[in-house]
Amino acid sequence: MNKKVLVYGAGAIGRGFLPWVFSPQKYEYYYVEINNNLRNLLNKNKKFISFKARNNRYESVTVPVKYCFNLGEEKEKVREVDFVITAVGPRNVLSIAENLKETTVPIICCENDYSIPELISSITNNPHVVFAIPDVITSNSAPSELKEKDPLAIVTEDGVCYIDKKVDWIGGEVTYVSKEELRKQWLAKLYLHNTPHCIAAYLGNILSVKYLHEAMQNKMSEEIVRGAMNEMKCVLLRKFHLEKGFVGWYANKELKRFKNTLLFDPIDRVAREPFRKLAPSERLIGAAQLCISCGIVPKNIILGIMAAFCYNNPSDADANIKYLIEALEPKDFLKIAIRLHSSEALYELLLDEWKYNINKLRRLK
Amino acid sequence: MNRKKMLTIAISAAVAAGNILNEHSNDFLKASSKESFRDIVTEVDKYAENEIIKILKMHDPNIPFLTEESGFIEGINEKDYQWIVDALDGTVNYVNHIPFYAVSIALMEKGRPVVGVIYNPMLGDLYYGAEGIGVYKNHAKIKIRDGKEEETLFAVAFSGKNYDPLKRSKEFLMFGKVNDSTRGCLRTGSAAMNLAYLAEGKFGGCWGKANKIWDVAAGILLAKLAGAVVEYKTINKEKNLISYIAVVPSALKFLKGKVRL
Repeated sequence: MNKKVLVYGAGAIGRGFLPWVFSPQKYEYYYVEINNNLRNLLNKNKKFISFKARNNRYESVTVPVKYCFNLGEEKEKVREVDFVITAVGPRNVLSIAENLKETTVPIICCENDYSIPELISSITNNPHVVFAIPDVITSNSAPSELKEKDPLAIVTEDGVCYIDKKVDWIGGEVTYVSKEELRKQWLAKLYLHNTPHCIAAYLGNILSVKYLHEAMQNKMSEEIVRGAMNEMKCVLLRKFHLEKGFVGWYANKELKRFKNTLLFDPIDRVAREPFRKLAPSERLIGAAQLCISCGIVPKNIILGIMAAFCYNNPSDADANIKYLIEALEPKDFLKIAIRLHSSEALYELLLDEWKYNINKLRRLK
Repeated sequence: MNRKKMLTIAISAAVAAGNILNEHSNDFLKASSKESFRDIVTEVDKYAENEIIKILKMHDPNIPFLTEESGFIEGINEKDYQWIVDALDGTVNYVNHIPFYAVSIALMEKGRPVVGVIYNPMLGDLYYGAEGIGVYKNHAKIKIRDGKEEETLFAVAFSGKNYDPLKRSKEFLMFGKVNDSTRGCLRTGSAAMNLAYLAEGKFGGCWGKANKIWDVAAGILLAKLAGAVVEYKTINKEKNLISYIAVVPSALKFLKGKVRL
């Protein structure tokens, strides 16, 4: 008998990647999705196609959808399924946490934030909440020729999913690993994927291009991303003592990924919510602080941070970054919007080269 | 009028004025008498206000102003809009280094606030918003925390220097009634900050009787945009006095029962 899975979030990971990890032939899919249009379409069509870009061509899998619930309607189903997966984004996790109290089955968090499983476990009193790392780039959209085949089409690359081995009975095409290995993979993902990936997106926004691979086609932009990657490689070696071979391999893999012309990874998706990425311990400010603590001057990450400050997308949840960067003097912006203190080295580094870096970013075009 | 642009200008002016307040926050240590103390406060207040007027005028010289220190400043051929400015709301807190004071700037459109900024320079807390844009503190969107009166904290800003003993005792009576039925009521010294804290979800409600319009114009908008119910009426147009209540929806009935505008 097939296992039943309830997935919170029918976005890039939930719809695009998970069906390649948990085959629809062996797992029945239920979704919870707050986007009315998407939910209605999933319930109307009762299926969608996920495309996987591999060896310069697309493979596809058709995913039957048993039902897609609105948030709050799933309370009975969440008790019946074999396991639950969350892929809603770290900012939205708290809004679903109450509903997760209804179940005692394992909850797998694909949330790009290592602290989320502990948080959910404490709210729900469920000891079976585990972290998962989808080591993959999945677009939340697809090129028009694929959309013609299915308006719900979505494109993913051929990735790997790491999950804590304490729930390995769930099965699937998963690499179940120890907590130590999961931490290593997380550090690599956080600093060799997340940091340069979002920097590429912010540079892409300045370049006014739509997809990530287009940003990587600009020579100067590619150099900044590569430079940021090198800065983070040094941190992983010096501070976290990861093996050099692993770090080098991981970094090369990521650079290749960012350039993948089949993925059509939208800049707006990767760059969304810049303030979250600029939080003190997150992938931009946090990464730069780590570099400084290791004696590395993060010149390229600072350029990435400046590019994030300039992010311009009126429909983004953090669109107010534009008002603040326009309204405030640099020192006030750092204090009020970024909460950096004037005694911090990063504050000085950002201010010292502010004009130079802004001019450099302008020259990208 | 482009509200995004006006909001950006107002933020810029509020923070510049806040920086002046910060720079001069220790000037009072030099005061040798009560009179010189008052002079220094007025001087700093005026200095910050001038900075605001300079920045706002630079972007659009047509819009008139109503400010605490300078009063009404005419614009050119502009009747629909007006800036309302208080460079320092919460003077007593400011001179005593209590971090509960603010710069407050509102843009009025046909008599109602459409853009508002409140900046607490000591904490670096910037509250801002505009109709059609939303309301924020620093980088994040904010909203009220709705709840019954017994679950929340209230605040009031009145001078306490109303020397008509009857009126004064009425104000304190009202204060006591709210204090006894809720998690508490604070007399904070800054109406602008009370409204900002309501917008942020720290207070459940606040009110003021015969407050100056420049103390509350920005705050009324921000509280409203954050989900509070705001009711106000003009008490004296000449003297720019208004009375208001601003409260989370679940405690509206309670506050209206206790406080008469």
